[in-house]
Amino acid sequence: MSANGEVLIHVEDLYKTYGQLNALDGVTEDIRKGEVVVIVGPSGSGKSTFLRSLNLLETPTKGQIYFEGVDITSPKVDIDMHRRKMGMVFQHFNLFPHKTILENITLAPIKLLNMNKEEANAKAMGLLEMVGLAEKANAYPSQLSGGQKQRIAIVRSLAMEPEVMLFDEPTSALDPEMVGEVLEIMKQLARDGMTMVVVTHEMGFAKEVGTRVMFFDEGKVKEQNTPQEFFDNPQDERLKEFLSKEL
Amino acid sequence: MQAFIQDFLDDFQRNFIQDNRWKYIVDGLKTTLVVTFLALILGVALGFLVAIIRATYDKTKKLKILNFICNIYITVIRGTPVVVQLLIIMYVIFASVNIEKVVVAVLAFGLNSGAYVAEIVRSGIMAVDDGQFEAGRSLGFNYVQTMVYIIMPQAFKNILPALGNEFIVLLKETSVAGYVALQDLTKGGDIIRSRTYSYMPLIATALIYLAMVMGFSKLLGLLERRLRNSER
Repeated sequence: MSANGEVLIHVEDLYKTYGQLNALDGVTEDIRKGEVVVIVGPSGSGKSTFLRSLNLLETPTKGQIYFEGVDITSPKVDIDMHRRKMGMVFQHFNLFPHKTILENITLAPIKLLNMNKEEANAKAMGLLEMVGLAEKANAYPSQLSGGQKQRIAIVRSLAMEPEVMLFDEPTSALDPEMVGEVLEIMKQLARDGMTMVVVTHEMGFAKEVGTRVMFFDEGKVKEQNTPQEFFDNPQDERLKEFLSKEL
Repeated sequence: MQAFIQDFLDDFQRNFIQDNRWKYIVDGLKTTLVVTFLALILGVALGFLVAIIRATYDKTKKLKILNFICNIYITVIRGTPVVVQLLIIMYVIFASVNIEKVVVAVLAFGLNSGAYVAEIVRSGIMAVDDGQFEAGRSLGFNYVQTMVYIIMPQAFKNILPALGNEFIVLLKETSVAGYVALQDLTKGGDIIRSRTYSYMPLIATALIYLAMVMGFSKLLGLLERRLRNSER
């Protein structure tokens, strides 16, 4: 795929420490436009911390993150402006329970992009059609299944027309039979050329749609490669051990 | 039986009709309602402000000095009796100023209620899942927008029963306003008692409080049900 696209996110020597623990221990990476970077690794390896650092939900202890060439770790930068262009999907969906599905999707476009209500609603309905949940527009999140909630959460991020989508274990809280419907949407996004960074345990997804797979361990990127090489020919001992357990 | 009813009617006549004594009750009730209503507004405004400052400090470690001031306010108000606070405002703070007693009462009860409302609201904010906050911020909302659009509506729903309870407490608490010679409902009833030496005025006073609290509880129940229905 377009691994030669321009650099969208550049991470420079990133550290995050919690007391004695180094959650991130010097990570330098580029995320290019159109890439689908899948991050795997044991729990506590720093993979979620890395992902959550990309839009500064975690404040790095040291290091820089450049998004579209701007150092967003600089205190002078208005991070809210940049976050609009970085969609994020959480393990626990985090839909707004006091708002309908339609309102969940249109809240940010109306308030932040000054879109008028009709336009925002039309756009939201289009996105709901895409994920097959148009009939749930006026339902509340509590009336939806986990898989449906996560599809709505993806749509809510897409409504802001982000440059990149960050997925933090999007299927880990789902019942097994609901994982597929969410992965299907993500695959669709990847096919449409969305730049994605995905932390997941779904090795099948990594193989099928990843353009690059990254192995996190002890706060570092221990190994990364194309999916084929990554799974067929792992080098790092910890990765071999990890893969033998996961597959 | 006949004699009992006649006694009752005579008592009633003496306590409420004679010399237009019912006016003590009605005027007192007006004063009680005015003080409660204005103190409620002051208390809720102050309470939300303090709660947001404290919750912001809890979440982000910002606003350290304001948080410190809020802590002192809450500690002092919760640590001293409301009657003492009322007396201090009347006879110490406004000792040399000619000020309406109603204003003193509103200030005292509003300041007092604010401290309790603050802790109620803060607990409501802290009870909203952190993920809600992260979802808001990740969409590009700033801290204040996230609070206004996402956190506070959920917090408000959580704390409505506790806020209603605080209102009931406030309404009844204003009955100590007589300490600064404000003629509220309780004082009005007691003035009649001091003239007629009958059981009636105070019982009537109690029944009026009871009716107001019951009516309000009913309203609150309806509001809660409506808010809950919007999620199912």
